[in-house]
Amino acid sequence: MTILATEELSRSFPRVTALDRLTVTVGPGVTGLVGANGAGKSTLIKILLGLLPPSGGGARVLGMDVTAQGAEIRRVVGYMPEHDCLPPDLSATEFTVHMARMSGLPRTAARERAADVLRHVGLYEERYRPMGGYSTGMKQRVKLAQALVHDPRVVFLDEPTNGLDPQGRDEMLALIRRIGAEFGISVLVTSHLLGELERICDHVIVIDGGRLLRSSAIGEFTQATQTVTVEVEDGRDLLAARLTELGETVTTEGRALLLRVRAPQTYDVLRDAVCDLDLCLIRVEQGRQRIEDVFKEPADV
Amino acid sequence: MSDLPASPPGGPVNPVPHGSGPRGPAGPVGVIHDIGYRHYDGPRLGRGPATVALAVHTLRGVFGLGRPARSKIIPFALFGIMMLPAVVSIAVMAMVQQRAMEYTPYATIMQPVLAIFLASQSPYAVAPDLRFRVLPLYLSRPVGLWDYVGAKLAAMAVAMFTLLAVPLTVLYVGELLVDMPGPPQTSEYLAGMAGAVGYAVLLASLGVAIASFTPRRGLGVASVIALYLLASGVSTVVAAVMESVNDYAAAGWAWLINPFFLVDAAIPVGLFGTEPAAPGAYPTGVGVAAAIVLMLALIALSMVALIARYRKAASR
Repeated sequence: MTILATEELSRSFPRVTALDRLTVTVGPGVTGLVGANGAGKSTLIKILLGLLPPSGGGARVLGMDVTAQGAEIRRVVGYMPEHDCLPPDLSATEFTVHMARMSGLPRTAARERAADVLRHVGLYEERYRPMGGYSTGMKQRVKLAQALVHDPRVVFLDEPTNGLDPQGRDEMLALIRRIGAEFGISVLVTSHLLGELERICDHVIVIDGGRLLRSSAIGEFTQATQTVTVEVEDGRDLLAARLTELGETVTTEGRALLLRVRAPQTYDVLRDAVCDLDLCLIRVEQGRQRIEDVFKEPADV
Repeated sequence: MSDLPASPPGGPVNPVPHGSGPRGPAGPVGVIHDIGYRHYDGPRLGRGPATVALAVHTLRGVFGLGRPARSKIIPFALFGIMMLPAVVSIAVMAMVQQRAMEYTPYATIMQPVLAIFLASQSPYAVAPDLRFRVLPLYLSRPVGLWDYVGAKLAAMAVAMFTLLAVPLTVLYVGELLVDMPGPPQTSEYLAGMAGAVGYAVLLASLGVAIASFTPRRGLGVASVIALYLLASGVSTVVAAVMESVNDYAAAGWAWLINPFFLVDAAIPVGLFGTEPAAPGAYPTGVGVAAAIVLMLALIALSMVALIARYRKAASR
């Protein structure tokens, strides 16, 4: 099943070309859309919502054409913008109910759905207070709630982790994973950090300068590029030497080692090496791959 | 609690007795259900009901309903002031059997109050959505740009109409109850109400159109009030100059620069033949048609400006 598809999609503004003959297909589940600032992510979402006409090519969302059936698309998709969009004098409950009604839900259904969705995104007693006093994390949750309140079939989340601290980031990512997996709503989520999307996406699309750089299932991505950061108390060089000896690729980075994961066996090798050398292991962390890494590595996989 | 229904439809249900201590011999035992995410398969209404909901939401906001108490002060204080002449007039009618306030000049006599209400509340209808960038959320839903603008205009027009129609109706009901000598002034009352529709639509269109050009509320308030002061000032000065040179026809046209007298000339005077509320007479004959056309043109112009403004705002 195809959730959305673009065909040679182009969009140029007077001064810049935001999208340049982009052809991608997105299936159900969580799809990450990665690109640096100005890569054309927000433009693509606006076109998919039928708010911006493409200057060339076409796109379909749930089988509906974006230029001809924009209104029908907007009934069944949710949108969380990148920027602030919350009036400070309304409470989260009032605002979410209002947005549900704007999507065509009757009054009682809107109330029930708003209460449900606010609970799912993790807003409890504070939802009755005016939103002006909310923290960034709470605001992001309300923004997500208004995108989900009418039970859309697809949601477009534009930079949902923007401005969040590491813990808030993790919670938001877990929530997005739940939306795709448990709620059964397909998600298109944008970010400029590939690393954070890797953890929650089934499929990742990388665009740059409006052109498709890469589109592949997450499995291919991680296999090709995964690294782990290993930190030990003393004997970093000892461990590095041992791992190199065992045929692994290791580079040092500050106090830590970057270990290239060739296969699942690499983890066993690492574990055994640390045990044999009797080192104190501080942390083993999945490498956060950044967008730059994709540029370094040509898409020949 | 609406989010904890008694019988959840389907889904994994794990009734967990809440609170181990005895809470009463036969009292209800609290139960927490983990009902997971529920899909919505109820009705989805179209653009129409959504637009009506937006208009009602805006109207509530204009009067500060459902907002903090300080948002209610200005609209309700102004509403109270609008009611004063009606209440006083009823008292006068009851005591000395005389009319203190007529129906058709009600709006023009109270025009500063209406203008202040328009200036202070019409930015409220449009500015926050621009300033806090809520507009993209509306536009990503079935509600279109026309629906949005229509709902905002309708809400402001209904607010202005309420502000005028309620005191007029109270005055009329009071007149009937007091049982004044002679027949009740039903036709004057109806002319006043028809005028109220004109005032509401014209003022709301002008106010919302001007206010929509700035996302700053304060600037919106200042612009609307400045435009009113300018129009009424110019109108009074030009009319006075014309009268001093005994050009009463030109003075009549000069009164029409003030939007309040324009509506008065178009509807109560033009269509119902009541006495003019302005200090001088309005132009007659072709002047009536001109006043009506001018009024409609101003409304149309405001709407065109609004649409142009929102086209631009939406493309950002």
